[in-house]
Amino acid sequence: MNMKALVITVMVATMCCPLLASDLKAPATVVAGTDFVIASAESQGGTFYLIGPSLVSKREVQNGSEISVPGDEIKSAGVYTALLCSGAGCVSTDFYVKPSSPARLSLLAHPSRVRVAEPNAISAVALVFDKFRNLVVEPAQVEFQAVAGEAQPISQSRTAANGIAWIRLTSGKKEGPIKVGAIIGPAKELRVVRQVASDACNLRIKPEWAAGKFYVSTDPVRDCSGNAVPDGTVVSFTKTDRSGKTTVDAPVKRGIARVQMPVDGNARIFVASGVVTGNELNVTGKQ
Amino acid sequence: MKYVLSISIGAVTFLLICIAWLQSGGLARERMRSSRTPDEATRLLLTQVQARNWDKALSSLANTNDVDKASFVHDLGGSNGSLLTYATLEKFDVWPLHANEQQATVRAKLHYSTAVGPLDDVRDFQVQRAGDTWKVSWPAGKLEKPAPQVIPVNYLRWEVINRGAEDDWGVQNVDSPQVRIVSMNALQRPDRVVILGEIVNEDTIPAYINVGATLLRADGNAMAQENSFDKISHILLPKQVSPYRIDFPGVQLKDIKSVRMDAKSMLVPASADPVIAVNRQRLETDPLGKKVLRGELLNQSGQIVNIPHVLASYYDGSGKVIWVSDGYVDQELQPQIPVSFAVDLPDDIAPKVQNYHVTVNHFSSSHTS
Amino acid sequence: MKLLLLVLAAALIAFYVGYLHADEPAAKIDLNTDTLGPRTIEELTEKSIVRDYGLAWRTLRDALNHNQPGALEGYFTGFAKDDFSRLVQSQLKTGVHVRYSDRNHRLTAIFYSPSGDAMQLRDRATLEMQILDGTKLLSTQQVTRNYLVLMTPGADRWLVRDLQSIPEGRP
Repeated sequence: MNMKALVITVMVATMCCPLLASDLKAPATVVAGTDFVIASAESQGGTFYLIGPSLVSKREVQNGSEISVPGDEIKSAGVYTALLCSGAGCVSTDFYVKPSSPARLSLLAHPSRVRVAEPNAISAVALVFDKFRNLVVEPAQVEFQAVAGEAQPISQSRTAANGIAWIRLTSGKKEGPIKVGAIIGPAKELRVVRQVASDACNLRIKPEWAAGKFYVSTDPVRDCSGNAVPDGTVVSFTKTDRSGKTTVDAPVKRGIARVQMPVDGNARIFVASGVVTGNELNVTGKQ
Repeated sequence: MKYVLSISIGAVTFLLICIAWLQSGGLARERMRSSRTPDEATRLLLTQVQARNWDKALSSLANTNDVDKASFVHDLGGSNGSLLTYATLEKFDVWPLHANEQQATVRAKLHYSTAVGPLDDVRDFQVQRAGDTWKVSWPAGKLEKPAPQVIPVNYLRWEVINRGAEDDWGVQNVDSPQVRIVSMNALQRPDRVVILGEIVNEDTIPAYINVGATLLRADGNAMAQENSFDKISHILLPKQVSPYRIDFPGVQLKDIKSVRMDAKSMLVPASADPVIAVNRQRLETDPLGKKVLRGELLNQSGQIVNIPHVLASYYDGSGKVIWVSDGYVDQELQPQIPVSFAVDLPDDIAPKVQNYHVTVNHFSSSHTS
Repeated sequence: MKLLLLVLAAALIAFYVGYLHADEPAAKIDLNTDTLGPRTIEELTEKSIVRDYGLAWRTLRDALNHNQPGALEGYFTGFAKDDFSRLVQSQLKTGVHVRYSDRNHRLTAIFYSPSGDAMQLRDRATLEMQILDGTKLLSTQQVTRNYLVLMTPGADRWLVRDLQSIPEGRP
C-alpha cells in the first residue's frame, strides 16, 4: 500500500460516516424512465441521495423504509448509486437502469456519392436508441432497405449487437439516387446516396466550323456503363499548331463540352478528362 | 518680437515643405526635367508614373497628342480591380539598348510591390530627340474594350447546404470531395528542396483543395512541414487537374528519408464560369536572357476577371512533372480580349522540358471561384 | 479550545481534499483491437483513441470536481456532453458532487464503422468514486465499472459521443 492510499484509508476511517452498504435494497434492474421504490431497514427519515450518469438528486425523506424514485430521475441508462444518510450514518446501494425499448435510430450512410457498380461501396450503420437516447444494448432486429429509383425495395435484416447493426451494399449500374433506410419498431430513418457516373469512357472529339470560327466538341460524355457524366465535369482540350499551344479546360454542359479555338495551319488536338484521355484530331485551318 | 516669431514659423514651414519635396523625389524630377539623354527621359517618365502623376507623365511624352490617356493609365496603373491597381512602383532600373542621333531604345525593369508579392515588368521604351531634349514616344493605341453585346453565361454553379450544428448526429452531411495526388516529385534546387506534382478532383462536385508535405528524417521524425500556398489551383471542378509546388527553403534532399503528402479537400460553392482559354503558348527566351513560357489568356465568359493567376506544369520525356511555375498577370481579363502572360522557367530545367500544361486561377471581385 | 479543534479539523479536511487533487497520476489505458471489425484500425487512430479517451476522462474528472461544464467541450460531444453537462448542473443545484479518480482503463474496441466515422469500445475501468455533500464526504468506493463507449472523429481528435455504464457480466 503506498503512502497516498494509506492516508486516504486513515482519513476515510477516521472522518467519514460508517457505511452499511447492504441496508438499502433497490431492484437489481430498473427500466429507464419508470417509477420504482427503494426499500430500507431504516424506518427513520434522513437525506436521500441518488447519483446517476446524468443527474444528482438530494431530498429529505420522512420514512426511510420505502423511498419512491420517480421515473424522471432515472432517464439515463447506467449504474446508479442510492444513499440514505441519517444521524446514524449512511447506507448505500448500486443498481442498474437499463434502456427502455428501441424508439430512435441514428443512421450513418456513406458515402453520400458513390460511383455506379462499385461492390460493397455503400455502408449503412444503424445505432439503436430508446426514447431517452440511451443505446439499447439488448439484441434487436434492424431492417435495412435500399430503393433505387422506381425499383422494388431490397430488404435485409441484421441483429444489432451492443446497439449497432450495419450492412454493406453494392451500388447499382444506373446513376441516380438510392434511398437507404433502417427500421426498428416505430423508428425509421432514411438517407439518400447519389450514384454517379464513373470516369469518362471512350472520350471522343469532333471538329466544327460555324460562322468562320473553329470549334471542337465532344460526343456526349459517358462512362463505360453508358451513364452521362455530370454537367460541370471538366474536359481539357489541348491544341498544338504553328502559333503554339492552346489549352482550355471546359466544363461539360448538357452532356457535351465544346470550345472555340483559333487554328493556324495544321493543328493537332487532344482531349482528356481527369486521368482519362480521348482521341486525337488533326485539322487544317481555313485559308 | 512678434515679427521674429512669425518669421520663424514661416521659415520652419518653408523648411518642412522643402524636406517633403525632397523626400518625394522632387529634386530627381526637377533634375530630369531637362531630359538631356534618353535615359533621363525614361527616368523622368517613370518618376511621374511612380508618383501616379498621369497628366505630367503624359505631357512628358513625345507623342502626347496621339496617346489615349485611359489606355496609358490602364497600361501603367491598372484598372477594373486588376493587380496593378493594388500595386506600387517601388523602383526601376534603366539602361540603354541602342541609340543614334535622333532615336534610342531604353530598357527599363519596373519593380512593383503588389498585394500578392513583388512583380517585375521589363519594358523597352522608344525615345526620340526633340530639340535639345529627349522624350519617350509611347505606342499609340486605344484601350481595347469588348464590344457591347450580350454573352449568355449558363454554366453550372454549385451551392452547398450543410446540416446545422444543432442537428442530430447521424443526419447525413455531404462527404468531402474525393481528390487524389496523381504524381509527386522531389527536386533539389540550389537553395531548397521542392516537392511538386499534380492532383486531380476525382469527384462529381467542386473541391477546395490544399496539398501539404512533411519531410521526414531517417529516424522518422518530421523535419519540416509546408503547404502549396498559392502554387496550386485551390478550387478544382470535377475531374480537373492542378499542379502543385511546395518549397522547403534551406533544406537538402540528402537529409530526407521520406515525404508524407497530405491532400485536404473541402466542399465549397463554386461556378464553372469563367472559361479561360490559354492560347499561343510557347517557350521563349526573354530580353533578359531568361527562359519563359509565354501565351495569351482569353476570357470566354462575360464577366471581368480582375486578377488572373497562371500556373504552368512542365513535363519531361517520360511525362513526369519536372517543374511548376506561376505568375500573376497584372492586367484584368476583359471578356473576349486577349491578354499576354509570361512565367519563367529555370535555365537548367528548360532543356529537359518536352511538354507543358497551363491552367489559370481567377479572382473576381464578385466571386473567386 | 473548541474553536481550535474546529480550525484544526477544517485544516485537516482542506489538506485531505487538496492532497487528493494534487497531481493525480494519469490513468493507465490499454487498448485491445483483436476482435475489432469490420474496418481495420489505423495505427494513428489507435494512438489517438488511447490518448483522447484518457484526456476525455481527465476533463470529465475536472468538470465534475470543479463543477465546470465548459471542461467537457474538448473531448465530449453529443449525448455524452449533454448528459455530463446535466450532471454538473444538478451538482451545482444540490451541492452534492461526485469525484472520480480513474486508475485504469482496459479498452476493447468492438466496432469500427466501414467508413471510419464511429468506433464502439468497451471499457473496464477501475475507479475511485467519492460522493460529497458540500465538503462532507458521504461515500468512498473503489469500483470496477464497465462502459460502452461510442467515439467519433472530430477535426483533430476523437470525441466521446456516448459513455454508458453497463452491468457486470455483459459480453
